[in-house]
Amino acid sequence: MEEAKLVNGLNVKEFEEAVNQVAEQEGAQKAPKKSRVRWKGGFKFSALVRNHTFLVDEPAHLTGEDEAPNSMEYVLGALGACLATGFVLNASKQGIEIYDMEVVLDASQDNVFTFLGLGGDGHSGFDGITAKLFVKSNQDEATLSKLWDDTVKTSPVGNSMVHVVPIQTEIGVV
Amino acid sequence: MTIEGLPLFPVTVVGSWPRTPDLLEALRQRQAGRLSWEDYNKVADEAVLECLKYQDDAGVDIVSDGEQRRDNFYSFVEEKMDGVRLMSLAELMDHVEDKTAFDEQLRSLDAPAFAIHNATVVGKISRRQPLAMDEVEFLRKHTSKPIRIALPGPYLLTRSMWVKGVSDTAYPTLDDLAQDIVQVLREELFEMQEAGVEFVQIDEPVLSNVLFKPDVQERTFMCASMAASSGDPTREMVWALRLMNSVVRGIDGMHLGVHVCRGNWSRKEDSLLNGGYEPMLTYLTSMQLDQLVLEYATPRAGPLSAFEKYAKKREIGLGVVNPRTDDLESPKDVVNLVNEALKYFEPTQIYLNPDCGFGTFAERPMNSAEMAFKKLQIISEAAKELRTTYS
Repeated sequence: MEEAKLVNGLNVKEFEEAVNQVAEQEGAQKAPKKSRVRWKGGFKFSALVRNHTFLVDEPAHLTGEDEAPNSMEYVLGALGACLATGFVLNASKQGIEIYDMEVVLDASQDNVFTFLGLGGDGHSGFDGITAKLFVKSNQDEATLSKLWDDTVKTSPVGNSMVHVVPIQTEIGVV
Repeated sequence: MTIEGLPLFPVTVVGSWPRTPDLLEALRQRQAGRLSWEDYNKVADEAVLECLKYQDDAGVDIVSDGEQRRDNFYSFVEEKMDGVRLMSLAELMDHVEDKTAFDEQLRSLDAPAFAIHNATVVGKISRRQPLAMDEVEFLRKHTSKPIRIALPGPYLLTRSMWVKGVSDTAYPTLDDLAQDIVQVLREELFEMQEAGVEFVQIDEPVLSNVLFKPDVQERTFMCASMAASSGDPTREMVWALRLMNSVVRGIDGMHLGVHVCRGNWSRKEDSLLNGGYEPMLTYLTSMQLDQLVLEYATPRAGPLSAFEKYAKKREIGLGVVNPRTDDLESPKDVVNLVNEALKYFEPTQIYLNPDCGFGTFAERPMNSAEMAFKKLQIISEAAKELRTTYS
């Protein structure tokens, strides 16, 4: 039996077969996601996604217990991880070896005071993010730069940020 | 002790030299486990010969092998010692207490955590093989000139290799580790003495960090060291002095120097440490060493008048050119600097060298070999003029 070829620790052939199988399912391109966030007291929450939970907290200077990142930090980390995932995926599909990589992000919020009840103009969301990829690879800089640009363009988390996402909310009082 | 046969104002180097592209590629292959040491050394041998030729052609009197076999000036010990493992800062990030400070320093260097490696103590240490005797043996075969070997100092090794959460099982305290490091360095020095090495440069760059960095409690990547000091500069300097004297006690028959710089990782002058040597000279001149190898080619080093109280107590390895610029100093600049130094040193006490190495970190050389060669030529030209004046 032919041994599976791994690129960057990924079995690209197996991945592509899996993707093709998923693509055959109706509505698969929508990739629905679900989460349930439970209150643990104070500023602490447990978020459930699939069969995983992760803790959310606020830093001590905002009277949280700082046991975990806060929501915005998760969003920033999620963007970095999403970009990194996309880069590994795209590189592996092209047979490009990655020896090591890191994504370094910086972000600022437009006006967090609007969230904290201190008023002012603007909104509490991010108003700018920079993401820099450090990569060590067997490829030249031009190839890696193009790969990075393509990755940024197709990043699901990145696109969730640069496109307006309608959020429908409701309340259930029990 | 003096080195026989040297002219006045001997010209020398501070160890490292830029790696050739072939050597860098071989280093990467070896580190990835795709190239044997034997094959790596074949490439490194060629690079050392090239480096020796540059030094010969430039008129260098005491030559080094350019640290061509090393990844950097101190982490190479990992390959020669048991109980030490080269860990990337990405790995160490899981262990350090203040991850935010760690991240901030990486950002200031504009470097990824995976690219910086630290030799880290993970068990009881001992020499698996001599640290630099391979360098000595190769140099001996290929040059008749006096040779210079750099070794990382005891303070640097202790501070940088002990990481809480990783090293404390084998060594509960820094002092425990320091004792074994002193022993390792003594074994090495005795072997070098036996082999007739003329000059050993002991690198303690972290000392400038102890004194010049505003917050000495910060971990720092200065010269790849993750040193977290006690926060008390005096205590640190006294400890460094004690360790150094423990290492060199009873060693004679070769020239010993300590090299302290302000960082050699960036060409951005403002990202390097700034401050005169005056606060540390009381400690440096109490080290039982022949020479202080110091930077004096940039204003960041402060004035030579720092030696007013310490005149003629030790020789000086005077840094006369900046290894990190493409601007060429003139022989006149060098002569002027030496004339200033002569207020505090005898002509026989002054050796001439660049401020630091030209390739402290294999992957991050501070200059090209061609520019390094030109800078050494300028030092040699100045030395000739000085010899005429002072002979």
